[in-house]
Amino acid sequence: MRVQPPRRRFIFVLLVSLTLSLIAVVYPVYVIRPFRTQGARELAAALVVMRWRPAITVISALAALAMLAGYWRWELRRWPRILAAAGAGLVCLLAALARVNIYELMFHPDTRPAFLAASQVRLDGREKVIAVKIGESARAYPIRAISYHHVINDVVERVAIVATY
Amino acid sequence: MAGLRLTFHLAGINNQNFLMRDDQTGSYWQQISGLAVAGPLRGHQLTLVPSDELTLTLWKSEEPRGTVLNDVPQYVFGYAKRDWDVRMKRAPTVIDFPEHGLKARDLMLGVQAFGASRAFPYEQVLREKLIKDRVGGEPLLILVGPDGESVRAFRDRIAGVNGAPDFYRLGVDQPDAVMMDAATGSRWNFQGCALSGPAKGTCLERLTMLKDYWFDWRNYNPKTSIYGIKP
Repeated sequence: MRVQPPRRRFIFVLLVSLTLSLIAVVYPVYVIRPFRTQGARELAAALVVMRWRPAITVISALAALAMLAGYWRWELRRWPRILAAAGAGLVCLLAALARVNIYELMFHPDTRPAFLAASQVRLDGREKVIAVKIGESARAYPIRAISYHHVINDVVERVAIVATY
Repeated sequence: MAGLRLTFHLAGINNQNFLMRDDQTGSYWQQISGLAVAGPLRGHQLTLVPSDELTLTLWKSEEPRGTVLNDVPQYVFGYAKRDWDVRMKRAPTVIDFPEHGLKARDLMLGVQAFGASRAFPYEQVLREKLIKDRVGGEPLLILVGPDGESVRAFRDRIAGVNGAPDFYRLGVDQPDAVMMDAATGSRWNFQGCALSGPAKGTCLERLTMLKDYWFDWRNYNPKTSIYGIKP
């Protein structure tokens, strides 16, 4: 005798996976966006979500895919199958989006900073620089560049520093 | 930090001051303060490396053997124009502290020292060129460089001299020297070092200064006082 498929359980797992993934991706973007006031509590909550969202979204995607495999076996109708596959696909898409740093899409990082001798620099002398000196090594970060990249991970005299603007 | 060498990324924004995230622990750090605000290292503080904001010409004259961050060619299109901070004055802010008649994006030079914080309106500093003031009860000097744009702060104490000596700005005809003190008659350069006179070879203690918009400085320094404005 064929057992009645646990359709409701499959759908429940899919909806929970989708909801968790949506919250994990959308809530931090909603809270931490430019030209919006960030309250202390909501910011703290958004940062906790951001920290855990890679794990949350991967687990959700795995759960959604497992659900889809089971549901596909039991459900023979075309449209419920399509809807279930679309839902699982959306959860997988959210898992991928959770790994995208939108701030670094807007302001590309300088991951391998290169440096020129002061005598080789051809910038306008009125350009402003952020200047540091560690030991005998002097370094200048033109504001025109650092105000775009915002973060430069650097090593000066074997001291790891991060120059920010 | 905590035995780890951290690599940082731009990771978000908190009331228009950005957040960084480190790869190694996933902690989030506030840019202006270097304080970890979330994650395993929450509460830890990065060590501030003293820095100056100078014109390139002035910096090269002081550090001819220094090195300069090179452009990343594919992103030069997005780099800021030279008057970037002035252009940004038109951008809206999400927080405001309209006390003392200051506008949110008025540029300030902030000093945190001797247990206190004090803000100096940038335009006023450029006009006055040499400011003798106090922060946390200690005398300090705010000095505009020979380029008329770069600014440094110093503790107004000379070793072996009692009290806070008076300093006077010198004219542009003085090679290298930008000020003279009344106590010893020595002449001092923009690096805060005596070039001639009895104090020759000594340097004033540098104080770190941050150029920032008023709303941001005030947000992270709620007890700040302001030069030229009585509390």
